[in-house]
Amino acid sequence: MELRLEKFTKAFGPVTVIQDMDLTVGSGEMMALLGPSGCGKSTTLFAICGIHKMTGGRLYFGDRDVTSVPAQQRSVGVVFQNYALYPHMTAEQNIGFPLKVMRQPKAEIAKEVQRLADLVQIGDLLDRRPAQLSGGQQQRVALARAMIRKPDVLLLDEPLANLDAKLRLEMRAEIRRIQRETGITAILVTHDQVEAMSMCDRIALMRDGKIVQLDTPERMYADPASQFVAGFLGNPPISFLPARAGEQLAIGQSQVLPRPAGLEVQGDIVLGIRPEHFGPQHGQGLHGEVIFVEPQGREELVDVQLDGGGILRAILPTGDPVKLGDRVNWGVSGGNILAFSTEGVRL
Amino acid sequence: MTGTPRIWPLVLILAIFSTPLVIMYLYQIIDSVASPDPGSLIPGELDLSNWRFLWERIDSGRPTIWQVTFNTFLFASTTAFLVTLLSTTAGYALSRLNMPGRPYFLGGLIILHAFPTITLIIAIFIILQALGLFDTLLGIILVKAALELPFGVWIMKGFYDTVPWEIEMAGVQDGASRFRVWWELVMPQVKPGLAALLIISFLSGWSEFVLPLVLAPGSSTQVLSTFMNAVIQDDATADFGLFKAIGMYYSIPVIVIYLIFQKQLMNIYGGGTKG
Amino acid sequence: MKTRLLAFGFLSPALIAVFFFFLLPVLLTVVFAFTNMSTSTGIMGGAYQINETQMGSLRDTEVSPESIEKLEGAGYLISEAGLAALAEEFGEDTAEELRDDYLGETFAARRDLERVLRNLDDPIRNTRDRKAAADLFVSTVIGERFDTAEDFRAALVETGIDPADHDLLTEFAYTGWTWTTANFSLLAELPSTMRYASNTAFYVVCTLTFNILFGLFLAISTFYLPGRLANTFRAIWFLPRILPPVLYVLMWNWFTWDRGFIATVAGWFGAPQQNWMLHTSTHAWTAVILINGFVGASLGMILFSSAIKAIPTSMLYASEVDGANRWQQVRYIILPQMRWPILFMTSYQTLSLLTSFEYILLATDGGPGRSTEVWALAAYHTALNNYGGNLQYGLGAAYALALVFIGIALSILYLRFFNFKELLSKPRIEQ
Ligand SMILES: Nc1ncnc2c1ncn2[C@@H]1O[C@H](COP(=O)(O)OP(=O)(O)OP(=O)(O)O)[C@@H](O)[C@H]1O
Ligand SMILES: [Mg+2]
Repeated sequence: MELRLEKFTKAFGPVTVIQDMDLTVGSGEMMALLGPSGCGKSTTLFAICGIHKMTGGRLYFGDRDVTSVPAQQRSVGVVFQNYALYPHMTAEQNIGFPLKVMRQPKAEIAKEVQRLADLVQIGDLLDRRPAQLSGGQQQRVALARAMIRKPDVLLLDEPLANLDAKLRLEMRAEIRRIQRETGITAILVTHDQVEAMSMCDRIALMRDGKIVQLDTPERMYADPASQFVAGFLGNPPISFLPARAGEQLAIGQSQVLPRPAGLEVQGDIVLGIRPEHFGPQHGQGLHGEVIFVEPQGREELVDVQLDGGGILRAILPTGDPVKLGDRVNWGVSGGNILAFSTEGVRL
Repeated sequence: MTGTPRIWPLVLILAIFSTPLVIMYLYQIIDSVASPDPGSLIPGELDLSNWRFLWERIDSGRPTIWQVTFNTFLFASTTAFLVTLLSTTAGYALSRLNMPGRPYFLGGLIILHAFPTITLIIAIFIILQALGLFDTLLGIILVKAALELPFGVWIMKGFYDTVPWEIEMAGVQDGASRFRVWWELVMPQVKPGLAALLIISFLSGWSEFVLPLVLAPGSSTQVLSTFMNAVIQDDATADFGLFKAIGMYYSIPVIVIYLIFQKQLMNIYGGGTKG
Repeated sequence: MKTRLLAFGFLSPALIAVFFFFLLPVLLTVVFAFTNMSTSTGIMGGAYQINETQMGSLRDTEVSPESIEKLEGAGYLISEAGLAALAEEFGEDTAEELRDDYLGETFAARRDLERVLRNLDDPIRNTRDRKAAADLFVSTVIGERFDTAEDFRAALVETGIDPADHDLLTEFAYTGWTWTTANFSLLAELPSTMRYASNTAFYVVCTLTFNILFGLFLAISTFYLPGRLANTFRAIWFLPRILPPVLYVLMWNWFTWDRGFIATVAGWFGAPQQNWMLHTSTHAWTAVILINGFVGASLGMILFSSAIKAIPTSMLYASEVDGANRWQQVRYIILPQMRWPILFMTSYQTLSLLTSFEYILLATDGGPGRSTEVWALAAYHTALNNYGGNLQYGLGAAYALALVFIGIALSILYLRFFNFKELLSKPRIEQ
């Protein structure tokens, strides 16, 4: 089912946290709400599930206007960051609770619980209490409980934040699989860009209560709308380099780069160069000294202090003989240079 | 905590201060079963006649101990039940529910929590007379429950505050009404709080003295505290053996509860009055 | 909306209780303090009645002698009420005749009225009947009880008393309570007022100091003792707090009475037999402060102990590594952390010591003489248990009023102990 927020505004007392936000999540789509801490992701989520009242704007599930429908009647499944399982109930009772509230017959409930337990693969853990389950298992129970009512929309609030790194990887795939299998419309709230990029069809990147860009992960990575977006996505992160646009791009006091095609402006700008677009494989042109090397197993990160000012980061396959203090002369992939105004707007 | 060996001076000082209390406890027990021998510290022989109040009236005109015990139990348990019941609902409303005027209710709660209610006893005395509840068990039950209420609400609110909001949010999302969320999802999380409040208000009711003394002075509504006080006041012979035996009998539930729940009680009394 | 209903449903029983047993009593304490309410006036408002025995004092008022004479000799009056009763028992005709000829007339003595009744055209012949009939018209105000002022005034009119005296008489006859500020002027005049106030101050300061110092000592010393030993001492000192006051004070009474523990031990050294609690006021104060102090120290110990437990152990270890000795650790690590609990304990205990009188009542009952009578106990004695038997609710309420005001002021102060902003954070489910 399609979900549509129109001119959504939320204020807590005198503080307006979100102003006139528009967001449409297509039917069966998985959308990430991504942004730094405090940008209003949870607030948006709470407004969609009905826990918070909207100060202004409207919310539609399909054609149905649910703006003032109480949470209980909205048909939204939510998975909370700490799972919020009911500690005094077994996994089975937890999952079946929404149906029990709807007064479904016992046999029906048991059948449905079994179906969902199979979907999230915890069929043999049903008679355990939450305290006797691992984090990943609790997560699956929470997911099953959120899905059992066959909700119109599934909301996930930082569902992976409490898991260790390995389990996080596994659950990432699991959640995506379950979402695909059921074809449910889902919104994932996260501040982890890797999670957003790997799990979702589209990403809404938020900052200070506004969506600054809404796009597919690939396009957002390759074609960011602003310096903020470029800086937020990518790991290791992009490097920014102040430059002066004239005939060529003057970097620091002594070095220059060729002007990328299509760049119109003159004067002070900021260049964004991703680590994979800087290095010996891109030829030569920028001189500097290696000031930092961080091995990461398959690859290693290298920070280069450019002569005349500025630092660029490169990512190289392990085995390249680069040592701390080496002098290097590396090139930049010209077509991939991103240019921003000093205010951070993409040029 | 750490292994410095010089704890003996400390123990000595503590022991000196504790001696009077220990002597009192000790003789409280000894004298209740020894034949009275005032003026000597060596207990007389074993003598159960101090406990005669159990099988006969100490003097005519006094209710039997069983009547009094029943009154006390009724008073303490009904009070505890009422306080717990009202605190459970009011505490939840103040902790979790949106309502107009909530800041005032909360401020009022804190003020009432600290307010010395005993200063109101004269007015309450007259209110009870006007309501026709003077010298009835019902009257002192209502008063005691009301006076304990701010404490109870405060404790329960504290317990509710520790229940994660997400549990309630999840419940609401699962389609349950706020009432059902409270009853089925939140209440089970605050059971320890309920038990603690029940115990504390029972103990408080069991020990209460001034309220029954002032508001229910008649003999048919006597509770153990006023009964014991009356026996002490009316006895010209200072029969401490009898007094102490009654005291032992009176304090049995307190001691039992204390022995079972010592840790929890200390925690609650330590934290309960704190902000 | 539904949530609001639920909220008020959940809150209202508690609100009702609060109304009846907090708000109303606070208000009534103020109200009562301005009345002369006592056992003899009753509490429900009174009736109007002048008794034979009051005639003497009535003469001392400004009521005119004629009116008093009329009151005394009111005798018999032919009134409509009397006639109606007469008609019922002796027939319409008799009543009709009497009305025509005598309505409104008074007779000083029954004999006169009886003569009239005998001489009617339709006379009442039987002597006993005549007596009964005459009694129907008895109109004396003396000894009669009137429920309202109107009834009483009507009776005065019937008796024919000079209207100028009605107001005075009505006031004189009122048996209920009246408004007055006499309680406060009395409090201001009585020397005992100052006495009770200074007793209270002395009691609160001494007990509080003992509570806090000794509570701190107990908490810190048990903190340094090995577990078993510490628990033993904690148990010994926790008991006073949960033992019923009647029993706890009984133990003290035994400890100090003429042939109790102290007296016996002191006797070995030749001390005369005496009650060590009530012998002198110094003894009494010592006992009162220790009795309350042990209970308070018990609370202090618990509170301070949990505060000490909350100090991160790393801080204590660090100070030990720095070479601090025990005393320095207490002085520089533990005590600074105790500032907040001590402040809390002080404000909390000040209030309860100011106002509670349970232990003093049980131990010394204010004695010997009135030497340990504190303000709260004086309120209790005045209004609820005095030896004279006439309980003076009004005066007692005036005593209590002072405490109520102090109580409200201090508990509002106490609000500041709480992080009220955080307390007020809105419920997170906004329905
Ligand atoms: N109840 C509230 N009252 C006032 N301000 C609030 C309230 N809840 C949230 N805010 C503010 O709204 C802003 C957005 O909060 P929100 O919880 O939506 O952030 P978030 O994006 O979920 O951050 P995080 O990643 O840390 O969870 C924050 O600045 C926060 O301080
Ligand atoms: Mg959040």
